Amino acid sequence: MIEVKYFGAIAERTKCEFEKMSFSELSLQKLLQDLNEKYQFESLTFSIAINQKIVSKTTNYTLQTSDVVALLPPFAGG
Amino acid sequence: MDAAKRYNRQTILPEIGEEGQYKLSKAKVLVVGAGGLAAAILPYLASAGVGEIGIIDHDVIEISNLQRQVIYKTSAVGKAKVQEAKLMISELNPLVKVNVFAEKLSRKNAVSLFENYDIIVDATDNISIKYIINDACLVTNKPMVYGSIFRFQGQVSVFNYQNGPTYRCIYPDQNNNALNCEDAGVIGISVGIIGMFQANEVLKMILGIGEVLSGKILVYNILNNEQQKYDFDKSDFHLLNKETFDEKYNKSEVEEINFESILDEINNDEVLFLDVRNNDELPKIDLKNQIQIPLVNLENEIEKLDKNQVIYIFCQSGIRSKIAVESLQRHQFKDVKSIVGGVLAMKQLLKKEISV
Repeated sequence: MIEVKYFGAIAERTKCEFEKMSFSELSLQKLLQDLNEKYQFESLTFSIAINQKIVSKTTNYTLQTSDVVALLPPFAGG
Repeated sequence: MDAAKRYNRQTILPEIGEEGQYKLSKAKVLVVGAGGLAAAILPYLASAGVGEIGIIDHDVIEISNLQRQVIYKTSAVGKAKVQEAKLMISELNPLVKVNVFAEKLSRKNAVSLFENYDIIVDATDNISIKYIINDACLVTNKPMVYGSIFRFQGQVSVFNYQNGPTYRCIYPDQNNNALNCEDAGVIGISVGIIGMFQANEVLKMILGIGEVLSGKILVYNILNNEQQKYDFDKSDFHLLNKETFDEKYNKSEVEEINFESILDEINNDEVLFLDVRNNDELPKIDLKNQIQIPLVNLENEIEKLDKNQVIYIFCQSGIRSKIAVESLQRHQFKDVKSIVGGVLAMKQLLKKEISV
């Protein structure tokens, strides 16, 4: 299981705050591509964290069971 | 003395003591923005005895501010926020020196203003100002205490603390349309909580206690009380000094234009109307000399455009088109302008035109 957490405007788009995906192995790039197809994130800005650590969007990383990915858009209100 | 009594309950804390109180009295903190976040930050910094507080904001108080900007009174609607904030602080703690600036923070005044303070607090509700604050903090080597809200969620972090990572290390480029409170909605409690986290970071830095939220961004959700911290590293791509700051901000002055003033150019073959929305965005608009390149593809498809042509750029509401102008200006385009209000404004005028 891989968990993906959504925040802010991203969570508004996905209409949920997290999803669990039953992959045992999956590249980060493939995950982002799949999510983009499903939710059309293109116009939204966000950074990506894997297991509470922000990584580059182009990172070559193979997600393993129990990894948690978070999509963190910037907030603007105040 | 009065001060000793006033601060007694905090000076008896071993982490603060007389020495900590002295540090507070010598500290100079600038709060950028006097809205919801500042309404939590200011009274707590003032009551704790921060020696000098600067506030910069150009707004006046509106009735719709009062549900979250709790330092303002109903009778003060229409008055300048900075003046009312100063009044509030002088009544709360006359030992604090308050400097107010009833103007907008900009690339022109940021650096010289920041030089006079030790800590800069971002209490704004606008992404482009956050980049200016971040970059000016880099130039002046000051820590930036960041706070921001999206509906029931908030983010907090301290950037550029002892050369630590900055806002651009999480969000490198200004390329987004994140909603502010006016557009997204907000309740007072969420800005209050996040503002309080910011005030806490300020006091910790001044006192040298605890662990400053540097290299970490805290995300808080008030609906389920979930709180997460995400670590991030410093990226050296985003270093700035006085010269590169001036260069960056002087170049990227985005020129905007009202569609009304260029209505008679919609059939002019010499000019180009560039739609930077995604292909599926509605309403469609159909001008003779128009092309569509979504903002995300712009840099890759830039060779489709002529650097010497007059280009009017539009999007849905006029935010992405400004980013597109900056991007084209970086590629030495000579005459590009962003259409104010985007398609929504254009449609209205086109409708009028047709019915005439």
